[in-house]
Amino acid sequence: MFKGDLANIATHMALQAMAFSFNHLPGFMKYLSTDDGELNFSIGLRTENGNVEQCISFLEGKVGVSGKIPADVDTEMVFLDTSILKDLASLPPNEVLNLILKNKLIVKGNLVYAQLFNFFISLFVKGKQIKMMQKQAAEHMPVSCDTASIIPSPAKSVNKQLKGEAVDPGVLFLKDDPYLSRYSLEDFPRLRRFLDIHFTVKPVICHERPLLLTRWFRKNGFETDKNGNPLVPELRQAEAFKHLMENRKPIIRKDDLIAGTTTTHEIGVVIYPDSHGTMIWGELFTTPYRQLFPYDISDETREILHHSVFPFWTRRNFKEWVRDTHKKPLCQSMDDRFAVYFLWKTAALSHTILDYPKLLRLGAKGIISEIRAELASDVHADSLKKDTLQAMIHCYEGLIAYGRNLSEQAGTDAEKETDPARKSELLHLSRICGKVPENPCTTLDEAVNAIWIHWVGVHMENTNAGFSLGRMDQWLQPYFASDLEKIKGEKEREAYIKHAVELIGCFYMRCTDHLPLIPDIGNYLFGGSSSDQAITLGGVTPEGEDAVNDMTYIFLKVTEMLKIRDPNVNARYNREKNSETYLRRLCEVNVNTTSTPSIHNDTVVMASLEEFNYPPEHLRDWAATGCVEPTLSGKHIGHTNCMMFNMVAALEMAMFNGRHPLMRWDVGPKTGDIDTGSFPSFDDFFHAFCTQLDFLMNNSCEYNKLLGEAHSVLRPTPYMSGLVEGCIAKGRDATKGGALHNSSGTACIGLADVTDSLMAIKKFVYDEKKVSLQDMKKALETNFAGNTYLHSLVLHKTPLFGSGNNDAVEMANRITGYVHDRFGEHINFRGGKYTAGFWSMSNHVAFGTLTGALPSGRLAGKPFTPGLTPEAHASRNLLDNIRDVSRLNPGSMNNNIAFNVKVVPSQKESHKEAVDHIYSYAKTYSDLGGMQMQFNVVSSATLRDAMAHPENYRDLMVRISGYNAYFVTLNRDMQMELIERAEFGV
Amino acid sequence: MGSDKQHDGSENKALVFEVKGNSLDDGPGIRTVVFFKGCPLDCLWCHNPESKKAEVEISFDKEKCIGCGSCIAVCTEKALDKDRPSFIDRQACNLCMKCTDACPGGALSPVGRFMRLDELMGEIEKDLPFFQASQGGITLSGGEPTLYMGFASLLLQKAKAKGIGTLLETCGLFDYERFITSLFPYLDIIYYDIKIFDEEEHRRFCGASNARILKNFAELNTMCIEAGKELRPRIPLVPGITATRKNLLAVAHFLKGLGVTKVELLQYNPLWLSKLDTLGQNSEASRIGNLEDWMAMPLVEECKAVFEGFEIR
Repeated sequence: MFKGDLANIATHMALQAMAFSFNHLPGFMKYLSTDDGELNFSIGLRTENGNVEQCISFLEGKVGVSGKIPADVDTEMVFLDTSILKDLASLPPNEVLNLILKNKLIVKGNLVYAQLFNFFISLFVKGKQIKMMQKQAAEHMPVSCDTASIIPSPAKSVNKQLKGEAVDPGVLFLKDDPYLSRYSLEDFPRLRRFLDIHFTVKPVICHERPLLLTRWFRKNGFETDKNGNPLVPELRQAEAFKHLMENRKPIIRKDDLIAGTTTTHEIGVVIYPDSHGTMIWGELFTTPYRQLFPYDISDETREILHHSVFPFWTRRNFKEWVRDTHKKPLCQSMDDRFAVYFLWKTAALSHTILDYPKLLRLGAKGIISEIRAELASDVHADSLKKDTLQAMIHCYEGLIAYGRNLSEQAGTDAEKETDPARKSELLHLSRICGKVPENPCTTLDEAVNAIWIHWVGVHMENTNAGFSLGRMDQWLQPYFASDLEKIKGEKEREAYIKHAVELIGCFYMRCTDHLPLIPDIGNYLFGGSSSDQAITLGGVTPEGEDAVNDMTYIFLKVTEMLKIRDPNVNARYNREKNSETYLRRLCEVNVNTTSTPSIHNDTVVMASLEEFNYPPEHLRDWAATGCVEPTLSGKHIGHTNCMMFNMVAALEMAMFNGRHPLMRWDVGPKTGDIDTGSFPSFDDFFHAFCTQLDFLMNNSCEYNKLLGEAHSVLRPTPYMSGLVEGCIAKGRDATKGGALHNSSGTACIGLADVTDSLMAIKKFVYDEKKVSLQDMKKALETNFAGNTYLHSLVLHKTPLFGSGNNDAVEMANRITGYVHDRFGEHINFRGGKYTAGFWSMSNHVAFGTLTGALPSGRLAGKPFTPGLTPEAHASRNLLDNIRDVSRLNPGSMNNNIAFNVKVVPSQKESHKEAVDHIYSYAKTYSDLGGMQMQFNVVSSATLRDAMAHPENYRDLMVRISGYNAYFVTLNRDMQMELIERAEFGV
Repeated sequence: MGSDKQHDGSENKALVFEVKGNSLDDGPGIRTVVFFKGCPLDCLWCHNPESKKAEVEISFDKEKCIGCGSCIAVCTEKALDKDRPSFIDRQACNLCMKCTDACPGGALSPVGRFMRLDELMGEIEKDLPFFQASQGGITLSGGEPTLYMGFASLLLQKAKAKGIGTLLETCGLFDYERFITSLFPYLDIIYYDIKIFDEEEHRRFCGASNARILKNFAELNTMCIEAGKELRPRIPLVPGITATRKNLLAVAHFLKGLGVTKVELLQYNPLWLSKLDTLGQNSEASRIGNLEDWMAMPLVEECKAVFEGFEIR
């Protein structure tokens, strides 16, 4: 029985047709059965006003349709209206995801089933979907552009090179020119070939990891063993990991100096179905055709993922575990709607830096011995400790097995190799992998291979999201130095230095061999992001001495030559210890690459973490993680990107008495109705804003805690834990707080937009009384359509953050202080405190599209500013921006910041002058106490040309906010956001 | 016109139309440029028409006007009228600036403000760390900064006391003795404009004789050589006026005679034309056709070649 609405009848008929096919046609029927039995689930479809209500249920191979959605439906899809419902059947799956993002379609309940349902729709209309996507791609009109005014980007022109003096005490061998200006990419044909592959080969979805793991779990059990006894999650994961490492294909990539791969493809996409892997289910037919970051997928992989992998994980992933275990908590429903916060913990808990020196020093065998010694010495160890340590041992045995397999493979490849030079390289690799990572390293070749093979292991256990490499220059320098000391001839030494550059180049290219799985919705949320494997250079040693060394400059040379987005290179500049020569080189590399490295003011970053009272030698060993966030290397799980937090949402909710306009949801506390004159003073309004912030912080932290619990149950990380100080001694997994130091880091987004909006309200509503708060609210509701006077006034006369206005800086400090203090009151699942960061990945664009007009005059849907960068029109004078940002209180920004500056070298100035100017900005910013800074050295004209002629700019790299991306791969909103950023000549 | 709108010759304040930070084109390093308002010359093509008069003015940018009428409501002199093409009746306007305060979008704005020495130093000192990192400093420009000789002298002395680098851009029409005693000792670098060599032509296009300008340059050149200071002659290239072969040859000959080996040629751009409207000024430039276009690079190269013939680069 159902209501007689026409749309309702049409929906019913469409679902009936679907059900008929599944019930009677073998081509469809076969998709109902999987290695885990029949797919049993139900999907409810309804419109917000209720004129449509239908339910389709899949039960033991039979499909039925009814006009009523039962209370226990697995997944409910609520459409804004019938037109959006029609879109479901006619739009490609990636566009359907966009409807969810824009809150026109709300999915309640299990999100995996929604993806499965999308996959089923694709079965019927994939031909049409693919055609539409191809047409979209063809119709993607380039923006018009005046090519006459194009200034060539520095990346396009031949690099100019300064020479450096050897003034850094740690530079022992690059004495004549630490900048290595004598080398360019032309000297490294091997790297050039890898770059060509990187930019031309389409990534492929790889089923190796999920298939080996899923089969193992299906056979040996997940929650319980075959006899129904509960399994210890640590042991279960460890045994599965070992099985994976023993059985995955050992691959030596053609021409490479480093053995091992993360996937079986040249460039592969790793699938983690226990985190967000199933989110690609609905796109399995169409993902090669999507416009942004298309992935190839073979028929075999698609069938395997659908029949043998994904069904096992429909409820065994972090999100759905929380939903089932904690009964659909509010904090999760808010996250599902994307507009107020986004918890990265739904995908990963990584974002950390492991103890690499220990790996290099001890090898896997040595680590196992250490664990055995702990087991033997702690007679009071509880069973969890024993199991956890045993789990770690399994994992390192898995690593040893993979290393041996690689050694064997290199030997086999060498036998077949006809080119004598390559044959000798392969034999060398075979010897290296026969020794490491099992045993301690003695040479740079061994150390780099050991780190990479271990890095493969890390990514077989952990989602490739922000897992970072840390202080590679520090940890590799001893091996570089020891190798060189053994070489006496000048010519031989030079050849070795060139080899070291090539080796590190190969390492960078290895790091880019895998991509994170990004469902198309992610292209809008985190456009163009790689897995952001941060490397950190320079700074000071744990003892506090100047840490810049030969390897620092070798890494910088490689960064400059390759110009690739991943690894994400960060540099610590310690103004008390590091040389100006070093800072100048950082600036030169930034000019030559257009966007990297990001520069951190070392002493200020360390000062920002004062409240934690970390031992100084731990603090001095910090490195950037993912984007910019500090982690204490080897002993700290700081999940520094646990969430992207939209501060602007709290402002909107304060304006609308707890209602979030885009979500059409009265979700927040009732803090006062503007129309009944609730806020007599500015502080009253500010208080309402804070109350909404509290509400959002409480909920996001609550969800983070539940997800932390989910990680500990579904995917403890014994492999990672073996290289995090504290886990072995405590006998606790890193997901359960085993690390010596624990914290969670947030990224608070929209600081400039919130500050400017509050300044506008304060000035025009309260101080000057030029407008009432009611009128301001009305103007926001109409996107300023009815009030151009007010729009003009707030746009031009608000004292903006970044304009050199003291009150605005004070306001920004008041906001960061509040957010920091309140987050600081929360404790995460692992027992750690929260830190507050002010950077945004690319969520300043995504959250911006989900936000209405603001009192600052920013119109609905427009991006926020990146990180905490001032508004583009705040000042024509870059120095105002620099001064204001440097005056923010670092103590309130202990998860770091992203301050983006776009500069354009003028044609008449020399390379040296451009570097000098950027150096002066960076140096002064550091002197003034600024925390972090990153330059985009590219003009808007170039970016426009790149939009019009992407084929000419495949390697044009830009800094989004904390991470790098290739401009031509970004969604249009993000491309425009970059173009509209303030541009300063240098 | 009230006395607070015109300069009274005081050494403690000067009429300034912009203090521009982060300039990379007005001397070495990162510089803060102080643009003084008022100039003894009246060059036809002046790139900063707002700098010519030594008095406060009001500017109206119709592109920025949203037509809200807030300004008309506050004007006591009935000087504003939507139907008047220039919008402002500059005869009736008493420069009270109520309208510029009321304007929400910055379409109406005051041009020029009197700044006290301490006030100006305060703005400059904010940039001190940038000067230090870049070996930059302040540049006095205009308009003509030597119109405010007493003020400029005190400003330069204060800057020197703080270790700030100093540079002056001048048209050269100043009292030499006074310049040497009050400005010269506190200057690191001088940029000196030489526009037209022929005196009659100079009168015609720049509104005054150039005799003193050339004489001052020659004498200053000797002083600078002795003191080891940079004196850089600069020639604004204006097609058909300064950028003629005849004029450039004459200038080159003059410079060569003084032993000068370096010159800076400033490429012409027509951006100043759009500024005229906002100030309610008309230009004779419309009568000289090619001033509305950007200068072509080959022409600039030709000009350079003239000087290279004299071994001046």
